[in-house]
Amino acid sequence: MAQKKSADMSAADMTIEQQVYDDEPGLLSAFFAAFGEPVVYVTRTMKELNSLFFITLKYVIAGKRRPAEVIAQMHEIGNRSVVFIAVTLGFLGMILIYQAGFQAMKITGDLTLLGALFLQLLMREFGPTITALMIATRVGTGMAAEIGSMVVTDQVDAMKMCAAEPIEYLVVPRFIASTIMVVILTILAVLISYLVGSLTAYTAFDVNFRTYFDLSFISAFDVGIGLTKALAYGMTIPIIACHAGLNVFGGSEGVGRATTQSVVNASLAVVVIDFIISGLGYVLLALL
Amino acid sequence: MIEVKNVTKYHSGRPVLENISFRVPGGTNLGLIGPGGSGKTLLLKIICGLVEPDEGNSFIKGQQVQGLGLAELTKLRFDIGLLFQNYALFDYLNVTDNIAFPLRQAGKHSEEEILKMVQESLNKVDLPHIGHQYPNELSGGMKKRVGFARAVIPQPPIVLYDDPTAGLDPVTSSKIFLFLKAMKEERGVTSITISHDIEGIKDICDNFVLINRGRVVFYGSREEIENEKMPLVRQFWQGFSADTLG
Repeated sequence: MAQKKSADMSAADMTIEQQVYDDEPGLLSAFFAAFGEPVVYVTRTMKELNSLFFITLKYVIAGKRRPAEVIAQMHEIGNRSVVFIAVTLGFLGMILIYQAGFQAMKITGDLTLLGALFLQLLMREFGPTITALMIATRVGTGMAAEIGSMVVTDQVDAMKMCAAEPIEYLVVPRFIASTIMVVILTILAVLISYLVGSLTAYTAFDVNFRTYFDLSFISAFDVGIGLTKALAYGMTIPIIACHAGLNVFGGSEGVGRATTQSVVNASLAVVVIDFIISGLGYVLLALL
Repeated sequence: MIEVKNVTKYHSGRPVLENISFRVPGGTNLGLIGPGGSGKTLLLKIICGLVEPDEGNSFIKGQQVQGLGLAELTKLRFDIGLLFQNYALFDYLNVTDNIAFPLRQAGKHSEEEILKMVQESLNKVDLPHIGHQYPNELSGGMKKRVGFARAVIPQPPIVLYDDPTAGLDPVTSSKIFLFLKAMKEERGVTSITISHDIEGIKDICDNFVLINRGRVVFYGSREEIENEKMPLVRQFWQGFSADTLG
């Protein structure tokens, strides 16, 4: 009797939940759902990131100025990353120069362009991108974990109840600081890597410093594309990290998930942005 | 002053709050009671617009909270104080800056006035000398009192207390209940108090709502709840464990 009554119920008589859970998904639906779910997730995340970026920009332009907070974040992002970046890019400079010199010796035996080409590669590619990947790892995870912990302990809700906007308080100082410091760290990274490379070239291949420090290959395009990448990475990393932090749910497990999500998404974003800016740069170069 | 109309909230397709409705007239205190996990904190967050319900609405001073823009919601929140169950003190700010935060945000007072008000507030909660300390240096009871000071310092006409005495010793609990009583009697604050301390809230609340498994099972005055014959209400009100709740 009860079964008959249930079967006789039209969709209009049922709640949304009943309609959803009474319909068992078929094999085809499950197949499409398996593909559709990540697409929906990526689309929604992209929309949210886009929205967070524009709200942050709005507060950067028209929000309250809090220089002390920005300076504190610049110290956290910049000063505390100097050794990490210097060591990483220093070793990278040594390895790249040694590998390039070794290959060049085998093929042509001419090392006169070693320094000039290495500097161009550093400015266009390795300097900004490797620095950004390092910052995404060291700083992005910290931002996601810090903001995520504030979410799970209701501090972000408390902020809202005090009539404060969490994006203005938490995201904006990190965004400004990261944008400035990633550019500065990139310049520092290029210099250190280039200098360490010069010592390697001199020690391993007897390339004298006058030959190595050849700036003739460097144009405004190389400087421009390197700085544009650094600027774009500096803006992207805090947006992705803060988005991961602000969307934490489920306690400390959620904070762990957010930090992982932050480093994975930020690293992917750096690589994709690198591809886009490089591509656009070469198109621009061809047009000029 | 506060009204909740047919509020329903689903979690993973299962209703955690179902068709909740009640009113809190101006100047009264409503006791929101019920077993742990029955959706009381969630309801408080829906009332002040921190969580969106799937159905129904909440009203503060006649204004529908759901559907308000960010600017309107921010303006409305100047009129609401919320004492969080787990204190929710900003761990990167010291006690003075925590309590001063809503005042600085409102921007109505000079820095000198703010610091004076914060000190008065700390004196009131019997913690006059901890302004320089950080939340991680405080005990649970101290954090609760600092959270209370932060919630009420802008003198909002509406205050929501989420389990103000959870995990506190009886002396600190009675102090907190005295603060709550003073808020109502001296300032005419309209409030909702979630508590599991039935003895404590008996004297400070005018009306009571008992929620069990996301549904309102009782809504009435203190006299009515004391005379209620429903076993679940009697069991909860008198605090005996003859059978499993619900």
